[in-house]
Amino acid sequence: MALPRWFPVARKEATTLLKSKGIWILAPLLVVWGYGPTYISWDTLGPDVTVGFVQVAGSLLLPLCVLLLTYRSIIQERTSGSLKFLLGLPLTRTEILIGKVFGRSVGAVVPFAVATVVLGVIGGVKFGLFSPLRFIGVFLVTVLYIAVLVSVATAASAVTTSTVRVTAVLFGGFFLLLTLGWKIVGVRLYSAVTGNPVNPLDPPADGLLFAILRLSPGRAYRTVTNWILGLANSGGQYTSVATVLYPGHSVNEYVVDAVFSGQPVPPYLHESIALVVLLLWGVVPLALASYRFNRGDLA
Amino acid sequence: MRSPAIETDGLSKQYGDVVALDELNMTVAQGEVYGFLGPNGAGKSTTINLLMDYIKPTSGTARVLGHDPWNDVVACHQRVGICPDRFETYESLSARRHLELVIDTKRADDDPRALLERVGLADAIERPAGEFSQGMEQRLALAMSLVGEPDLLILDEPFTGLDPHGVALVRDVVEAESERGATVFFSSHVLGQVDLVCDRIGILYEGDLIAEGTLPALRDTCDLSSDATVEDIFMRLTDGSAHAGEVDA
Repeated sequence: MALPRWFPVARKEATTLLKSKGIWILAPLLVVWGYGPTYISWDTLGPDVTVGFVQVAGSLLLPLCVLLLTYRSIIQERTSGSLKFLLGLPLTRTEILIGKVFGRSVGAVVPFAVATVVLGVIGGVKFGLFSPLRFIGVFLVTVLYIAVLVSVATAASAVTTSTVRVTAVLFGGFFLLLTLGWKIVGVRLYSAVTGNPVNPLDPPADGLLFAILRLSPGRAYRTVTNWILGLANSGGQYTSVATVLYPGHSVNEYVVDAVFSGQPVPPYLHESIALVVLLLWGVVPLALASYRFNRGDLA
Repeated sequence: MRSPAIETDGLSKQYGDVVALDELNMTVAQGEVYGFLGPNGAGKSTTINLLMDYIKPTSGTARVLGHDPWNDVVACHQRVGICPDRFETYESLSARRHLELVIDTKRADDDPRALLERVGLADAIERPAGEFSQGMEQRLALAMSLVGEPDLLILDEPFTGLDPHGVALVRDVVEAESERGATVFFSSHVLGQVDLVCDRIGILYEGDLIAEGTLPALRDTCDLSSDATVEDIFMRLTDGSAHAGEVDA
């Protein structure tokens, strides 16, 4: 089978990313960030605590860095005029976007993969052999998460006409509100819509609240990876979610199993739906951006 | 009969109230070297941006090598080579990588070194373009436009930033490509450079094509002597901004 037409663009993007200096600092940073065993998580997960390190590595620092590595990919080319080379190639504008997303994703996955291997080796030596399936599963979902983040950042970069605006939308809106602060913002949103107050340590068993929380790509990512880890159904970090199984502990992580105990759980709160949410984040913003990118003036 | 290399009909571009290009009707036959001239801001780049699908028209139609340039961009660009105006190259990528991007996307089998030799840049093949001078960037862009032996070469202000050797090199490339059978369409605001290379000239002024034809034909229309330059013709045509209408070649 012949390579797709956009493949050379993807190769150029990956090369550009891997030639940038910042990217190789990312691998050691992710190792330091991800490694952090706790007594309770070891007690709950055993050797699989190593798999949890990968989730932590993928949770805050990785999204921030992936957005940083991607948010200018189109607007910068537009401002400098180098986009004229890409637009002059026998490619549709949508193919240019796909090549960008694919290439930047591969470029960003490389340092994360290095960090994952290092975490696996350190964790394996210290805590014993973990489940390889869970390890690979969490790795692959994180790779998907990286592609989703690249896709969102590329979409924003493609429709903006100013670097300031794309910075505000991605870091102020997408990262700060939707990824980092959604546990607070999402709950406020729920209270504003329904009028129900929410006690974070004892939230109401309302499917809507949990569905809103799960719309955040970061929480959707952790819901899926917690599922792979065999932990409770929650978008919180695995160390907190592991605590929930401890008698006498309650955590403000909106754990479905704890809140809905004895009641039927709405099917849309199943962990697999979080995977669908993640996929939608990867496709919908890019499709909308592509629609506009295809019709606009780019020079 | 072969379709024209470029054909526009009432092609217009407006930005708000500003008319950048006003109902351009222009035909460039296959195989000719067409000089698209006019002062800065006349609409030359707007026209090329439209033909290359960098921007979309407000009204009017165009065909490039028989293709719709906005809806049939893949088939169209497969046969077109573009050397754009006001661009930057990719600073971390070598000259070789730049050419490979175009060669591989067009699925051509050119040798990057041979292309760089044609523009006098073979020594810099492995150097990142971030180290290049403006003239070297211009040469690299010219080499990229030659990939895959395009049927139509569009050069937007190809003399910008070049020293006299570079200018002579562009002329040689244009002649060689024309010899090969390619159509060459280039824009320039430097009116002195062009009489030597083009078969036909179109003069664009304030968004209008005010004159078109061979150099002798344009001299005749303007009642100028046979040693009159493109500059003389331009001054005559724009004097009092009276539009001269099109001239048959």
